[in-house]
Amino acid sequence: MVDEDKLKDLKERIETAKSINTPIPKKKKESGAGFGFKISTEIIAALVVGVGIGLIVDKYLGTKPFGLIIFFIFGAIAGFLNVYRVMRRIEKQ
Amino acid sequence: MAAKDSPLKQFEIIPYSKTEVGSYDISFTNSSLSMVITVAVITLFLTLTVNPRSLVPTRMQLISELMYNFIAQLLSDTVGDNGKKYFPFVFSIFMFVLIGNMVGMVPYQFTFTSHIIVTFALASVVFIGVTILGFVNHGIKFFTFFYIPGVPFYMHPLLIPIEVISYLSRPISLSVRLFANMLAGHTLLKVFAGFVVAMPFFTGALPLVFIVALTGLEILIAFLQAYVFAILTCLYINDAYHLH
Repeated sequence: MVDEDKLKDLKERIETAKSINTPIPKKKKESGAGFGFKISTEIIAALVVGVGIGLIVDKYLGTKPFGLIIFFIFGAIAGFLNVYRVMRRIEKQ
Repeated sequence: MAAKDSPLKQFEIIPYSKTEVGSYDISFTNSSLSMVITVAVITLFLTLTVNPRSLVPTRMQLISELMYNFIAQLLSDTVGDNGKKYFPFVFSIFMFVLIGNMVGMVPYQFTFTSHIIVTFALASVVFIGVTILGFVNHGIKFFTFFYIPGVPFYMHPLLIPIEVISYLSRPISLSVRLFANMLAGHTLLKVFAGFVVAMPFFTGALPLVFIVALTGLEILIAFLQAYVFAILTCLYINDAYHLH
């Protein structure tokens, strides 16, 4: 019966060792500049797409300059939406 | 192009051979060489270190297994069980970006991730692949991805274009983030290296200390950006499975 006690003890030790080892640091601590950069790329990317669509619409539908104006605004809103989503994802973690 | 001592000279593309197919220039350049080195390093490292297949791993085998586990864990955390089949794809992208950044950290070595066309091509592969995946999984219903439930109907003409723009901006933000980080970091290193030579007497030692610290930071950023690229790929794959 000594063996079983030993096994139990070993099992417990393995469990504790596992529980210590499992939380692998998934995320490196990010600098403030890195965070700001992430946010700004989200806004800029959406604006680039918005302006791009606006220019294409203007070129093919001949609605200069309204396509650009409207899609620029859409792009800006989409940028803020992206930022909101990034923030929500960070909050969740 | 760039002046002789410009900190931007390191990003210059130097073609080693002139090859043209049609009107496309497909010359083998220093960028291509850097990519070939990266792929060779990844292949050799992963095959050689895992080759002994020992139960008690050596240090090198442990590194390979850690990388494998890292991505496998990432995929199961973000995508769940569906994610297993995308492991090769995400792992390849992660390793290519990570080792590409690391190879770029070697002095005199070209950093191909500091060119937006390279990162944009990588991001486009992810973007187009994920979009196709979404259509395969949901068919025409994938378009409901742009339709937010629980919003008054008169808001949809406004919200759908915004959602579409938000979706299309993914590859751009993904590529710009990686490219700009690498570009800024390497330029900063070169600028400080310029100070070492330019400063009088022994004060040049001060920027030299900075370079050592910055190199450490750059290696951290190189890893972090590869991680960000991988996790965003995972999140996009997840989106292709679960609309909203």
